[in-house]
Amino acid sequence: MTPTHTRAALPVLAALLLAGPTAAQQTDARLERLDAATRSTVAALVDSARSALLPTEPLVQRALEGATKRASGEAIVAAVRRLAVDLGHARDALGSTASPAELTAGAAALRAGASPTILAELRHARREPLTVPLAVLADLVASGVPVDSAAAAVLGLAARARDADLVEFRRAVERDIALGAPPAAATAAAATAADVFVNAGARQQRPGRP
Amino acid sequence: MFEPMDDVIERIARHLRRPVQIDPALDGRVMREINALPRLGGATALQKAWGWLRRPHQVTLTPLGGLAAAALLAIVALLFRTGSTPLAPPQAESRVFQFVLVAPRATHVSLVGDFNDWDATRTPMRRTGSEALWTAVVPLMPGRYHYAFFVDGSRWLADPSAPVARDEDYGEPSSVLTVGGGS
Repeated sequence: MTPTHTRAALPVLAALLLAGPTAAQQTDARLERLDAATRSTVAALVDSARSALLPTEPLVQRALEGATKRASGEAIVAAVRRLAVDLGHARDALGSTASPAELTAGAAALRAGASPTILAELRHARREPLTVPLAVLADLVASGVPVDSAAAAVLGLAARARDADLVEFRRAVERDIALGAPPAAATAAAATAADVFVNAGARQQRPGRP
Repeated sequence: MFEPMDDVIERIARHLRRPVQIDPALDGRVMREINALPRLGGATALQKAWGWLRRPHQVTLTPLGGLAAAALLAIVALLFRTGSTPLAPPQAESRVFQFVLVAPRATHVSLVGDFNDWDATRTPMRRTGSEALWTAVVPLMPGRYHYAFFVDGSRWLADPSAPVARDEDYGEPSSVLTVGGGS
């Protein structure tokens, strides 16, 4: 993350990290499925995100997913807080005009291990919405493709590929991986087929953040 | 040499005071000409209005009246523009997706995800055709969704045909579906 991004994100981060149990102005009725303490903290996080002009629906869904999966209150609060911070970082990298769908996909890409610089480069490379390229990037890394290889491939495709082409590219990589190909090699092969140069020998990285 | 001006004026006045001899048949000739003209009384209101619109007219307008007319035109133009131009960007269209799970021994399967508030009661899957096949159809807007199958109220299954969502927070498996904008 660049110093500029860090400075821009600081107020948002501070608000999200400091958000605690408070009486939210109008708590989303769907959060009634959470216990009282968890609901109060999640509502405060949602309010902070709203104040920072971040999308709040992904946060609500993250909390509801935890409730349905019977996760502990601490786990739910931690997951919602982490997603809110990722959404803030995604917005800093993609710009204030990014749509909620783009921010959600960008947060997933960041969580998978992509750098904010990659997100910013994608923004400059592609005029169309970035939801699918960012999601494909996150999915490739989740499939075991090194971040550098996945980013190079998606960046190479993003400028001219349609959403459907990107999804097909991801399927081709996952198919080759399922057939036994190393993830980086599968990505390079699919990228070559798509006339994109990708360095198959890119530094291997463990998917996800430490 | 010129006549004195007073004499000229007197002579003109005398000439104008003389009685005018009018032809007794003049009235008759004038009335015949009038009767020969097309009758206006037979025109419809629409024809009269069209005739009025086609004739040039002089309109007298005060500066204040002119300003009021301009303001009225501006308001009408603004209303027309507001009514014909969408204020919000057009909503992207949703696309319909069919979710399929092969679960031979299941008695009840629900589809849960970001699109239905992770509510296991909202999207029950239907057993179709083969007894082992469970399906559900959901319309989705462009975006990236997490979802999973909830089997018999106790077991979570990821979609084997979709990318896996790395879930380090809740432990249970989920899948990812990305819906593009149609480009």
